[in-house]
Amino acid sequence: MTKQRRFVEPALLGSVFVIATSGLVYELVSGTLASYVLGDSVTQFSLVIGLYLFAMGLGSYLSQFLEGRLIDRFVEIELGVALVGGLSAPLLFRTYAVQGAFRPLLYGLVVITGTLVGLEIPLLLRLLKFSLDMKELVARVLGLDYVGALVASLLFPTLLLPHLGIHQTSLLFGFLNAAVAFATTFLFPIERERLVRLRVECVLVLMLLGSGFFVVTRFVDRFEAQYFGAPIVYSMQSPYQRVVVTQSPRQTRLFLNGQLQFSSDDEYRYHEVLVHPAVAALGREPRRALVLGGGDGLAVRELLRYPSIEHIDLVDLDPAVTDTFRSLPLAKALNLGSLDDPRVTVRNMDAYKFLEEPGTAVDLALVDFPDPGNYAVGKLYTDTFYRLLRERVGVRGVVVVQATSPQYARESYWCVVTTMEAAGFVTAPFHAYVPSFGEWGFILAGAEGTAPPTALRIDPSQLKYLDAAVLPSLFSFPRDLGRVEAPVNRLNDQALVATYTREWAVWTR
Amino acid sequence: MQRRAFLSAVAGGWVASSVLPDRRPVHGRIMGASHSVGHALRGNDARPAALNPADIDAALPGREIAAPAPFPDRTDVLIVGGGASGLSAAWRLAALGVESVVCELEPFVGGTSTYGTAGASAHPWGAHYLAAPNPEARAALRLLREMGVVTGWDAAGRPMFDGRHLCHAPEERLFYAGEWWQGLVPVDALTADEREEMRRFRSIADEWTTRIGSDGRPAFDIPVRLSSKDPDVLALDRRSFAEWLTANRFTSPFVRWYVRYAVLDDYGGEPETISAWAGLHYFAARKLKSQELLGSHFLVWPEGNGRLIRELCERSQANVYTNALVTSLTEERGSVRATVLNAYTGERRTIEARAAVLAIPAFVASKITRIGGAPWPKRTASPWVVANLHTGWPANPDLPWDSVLFDAKGLGYVHAQHQQTVVTEQPVVTYYRAYGDADVAGARQSLLAKPWIALAEEIIADLMPAHPHIRDEVERMDIMVWGHAMPRPEPGFLGSDPFAGSPLISERIAWAHVDQAGIALFEEAQDRGVRAAEAVAPLVGKDPGETWL
Repeated sequence: MTKQRRFVEPALLGSVFVIATSGLVYELVSGTLASYVLGDSVTQFSLVIGLYLFAMGLGSYLSQFLEGRLIDRFVEIELGVALVGGLSAPLLFRTYAVQGAFRPLLYGLVVITGTLVGLEIPLLLRLLKFSLDMKELVARVLGLDYVGALVASLLFPTLLLPHLGIHQTSLLFGFLNAAVAFATTFLFPIERERLVRLRVECVLVLMLLGSGFFVVTRFVDRFEAQYFGAPIVYSMQSPYQRVVVTQSPRQTRLFLNGQLQFSSDDEYRYHEVLVHPAVAALGREPRRALVLGGGDGLAVRELLRYPSIEHIDLVDLDPAVTDTFRSLPLAKALNLGSLDDPRVTVRNMDAYKFLEEPGTAVDLALVDFPDPGNYAVGKLYTDTFYRLLRERVGVRGVVVVQATSPQYARESYWCVVTTMEAAGFVTAPFHAYVPSFGEWGFILAGAEGTAPPTALRIDPSQLKYLDAAVLPSLFSFPRDLGRVEAPVNRLNDQALVATYTREWAVWTR
Repeated sequence: MQRRAFLSAVAGGWVASSVLPDRRPVHGRIMGASHSVGHALRGNDARPAALNPADIDAALPGREIAAPAPFPDRTDVLIVGGGASGLSAAWRLAALGVESVVCELEPFVGGTSTYGTAGASAHPWGAHYLAAPNPEARAALRLLREMGVVTGWDAAGRPMFDGRHLCHAPEERLFYAGEWWQGLVPVDALTADEREEMRRFRSIADEWTTRIGSDGRPAFDIPVRLSSKDPDVLALDRRSFAEWLTANRFTSPFVRWYVRYAVLDDYGGEPETISAWAGLHYFAARKLKSQELLGSHFLVWPEGNGRLIRELCERSQANVYTNALVTSLTEERGSVRATVLNAYTGERRTIEARAAVLAIPAFVASKITRIGGAPWPKRTASPWVVANLHTGWPANPDLPWDSVLFDAKGLGYVHAQHQQTVVTEQPVVTYYRAYGDADVAGARQSLLAKPWIALAEEIIADLMPAHPHIRDEVERMDIMVWGHAMPRPEPGFLGSDPFAGSPLISERIAWAHVDQAGIALFEEAQDRGVRAAEAVAPLVGKDPGETWL
């Protein structure tokens, strides 16, 4: 019995340390999340810290009402902290992504965690009071409590957040709490039937948090959050690509296979120049339009500003993207629900296949594919593809193509121009500065006589970037972006993929 | 107690999964060329075991016509053999308005260009690409033009192609020294000597490509009958390609492997067993070098050359009878009589025709006609194994069409869905292995005796270096054993009078098969089929008019 005692004291003091560390970690997790998502980090941290300390006080106060079977209570409270604290980050993210009640959940979790942690220290004091005298007990327990807080506050910004990410940090400390609970069941004499129940509960919680640590957040968190530079509020792997939506205080961003597609900060620039110069070049009211790629619905949003639009076919290969932008509230707020407009038909099919099948001629075709970084996407930048596109728009239609950056990938950009010309288009290349991307290139194209438009067909008050003065400037290229010799991109060599990869490697090294 | 049970269960599972070898069963079966039926021809009048209908794969072309249909009593032209030559003859005759009947021994059409449709994608069961034909291969170009693959001719008279049918990039990769390299030559991994030898080999091949013989013809051409008869060029046929390589100091392991891979792929023979003329023909016969072909000059379809077979069938509206084994063919009083065995029912029937085209290899043709003095060349036929692997691989946009493993036994695999614009999961890949050494009879016997599992294990072992988990990744593997896949152009195969002769072997019977040329190329088969059709057309009262050749 005395021998066992010798282990019990250090073990319990050790658990004080773990509890103190994890308590502060949960507090930091909540504060960080709140400032990421809601912005205004001073207010958020101040609220979280205040609430948390208050809740701890509340817990300490309530501890006086706990009587009998203190060990059982301690184990159960510890498991409660493990669950609530451990799952706090994933829960909060999920809630934010689906636009649930984020604030009530955040403050609720802070209060619950604080209260449970507040209950524990007095309970531990009561458990230890038989082996240590009061003076020594208070000194050691409170001392360790504050050391634990220091360790947590040092570890969190330096090691935990950068290397584990917010999900795994939260789950890891939950797991540690549950481990403390589990260890406690071995140190104290507990009645057999209650012992079994407690241990089963411990194992269940450990398994839940442990599997959560390894499965749920393995890819999302550690690697991607670092890579994307902001928390991920939505991510999924479709058969074609990985779709990631991130959120920081200022902006929502979409990544496909790690490649930035838009940032809510400046996407209006990109989509205004994609759509409105083409409509202007059409020289008549646009009625039927075709959008290839662009499953985010942002180009469609711009098109729908023209009351003359009767029908838009949006062809995007990946239902994961179009479904996300039809259902995720965050995304619908950006595209104004354009994909659900009755004039829009979403077709989840290969754009190549769509053009090969017979279809009605369109006034406008907007081509907004990801950059030609692999051979599958590269096929959509070949002469064969542009021939099919030319058949679809006929002699009266206008085409606009996003064609990567003439600044970062100058030869690639002009390769697309050369290829479109080889397919029989007359082109009017243009570019615009989109801060998230840099200088970005587009190609307006059509039959003989296609030329840069001189006047917009929309009132600039509806727009944020384009107006009559900016429009002509888009079509003028400074010397360092100007035309260079480039080969025709054909299906059987896809020179563009190699050129593009080589050119971008310089900038992403 | 519970905890212990839990832990021991976990530990037990771990032990089982790490110690016991994982033998997840791969499913599949042997499809195949009907050896038992074909071998009935060996005995005089032996009756083969009737085919079991269940053995006929619904996914093979011609299955819908495999049901016992009564053979017709008579027709204008009887075509024996439903491969590329026979169907090309039917295609030519249909254009002249001549009625023909095609009798095919197998339950499927297409011969070694046949294909399957089971699973996620159509896939080849044999020949899987057509290199952009030379302008002289006019029959092949006519078919491609009808298909829309050739879109027209440029100012220099060269055919232009619809880019959708040329092999999309990336075309090929090589597994060499433990990793995949783009292209078949891993330049960065070779020694300086190997690179230099490779460069020298290419420059010699280029010289031969443009060389014109003393008779004004190109040294090598396709169809081969258009090649030069310059004795200096023909002298190459007197020795093996291996001897030529050694004599020209091509000795580095990589270059020898590269050349071996190429000739095995086209001729089913090792450099030691094929003629140096044929070896150089492989590297120097393709003359078309237009801008659009710089990327790849291979025409590729999911079902391989099965696409061409389908088109020939459709365009000729041929009356094809499968499971129809012609056991004898005789000529008397201005007509031709064939005895045809329905391998499905065992029933025999006589078909009378005004003329016949024998579109079958020499060793079979000689057995059923017994025409004295007919010019049957003695050909060695290489055995092949073709397997279709239905994989569970994830979508990979950069998976090339052709994947080759350095120093493997087989020739690697091609990806059936490569030309699709959509990236597909679970690709179907077709594995090839040619048995190229001298002992073809031994190889054939051993292959035909092997059960499916033995063949499948050999294929898995062959791919293992590049795909360590291939056993777990293959859902299904069907295997076709081709006992006599293609003629092998052995030294001396051109004979004493190369490229000569009429297709007619008697008054009313023409022979059309790649055995005549000794090289199994689609253009060659077409050339022979069309030539035979034009030779028999006057016998049924039709003027063939301007030749398609």
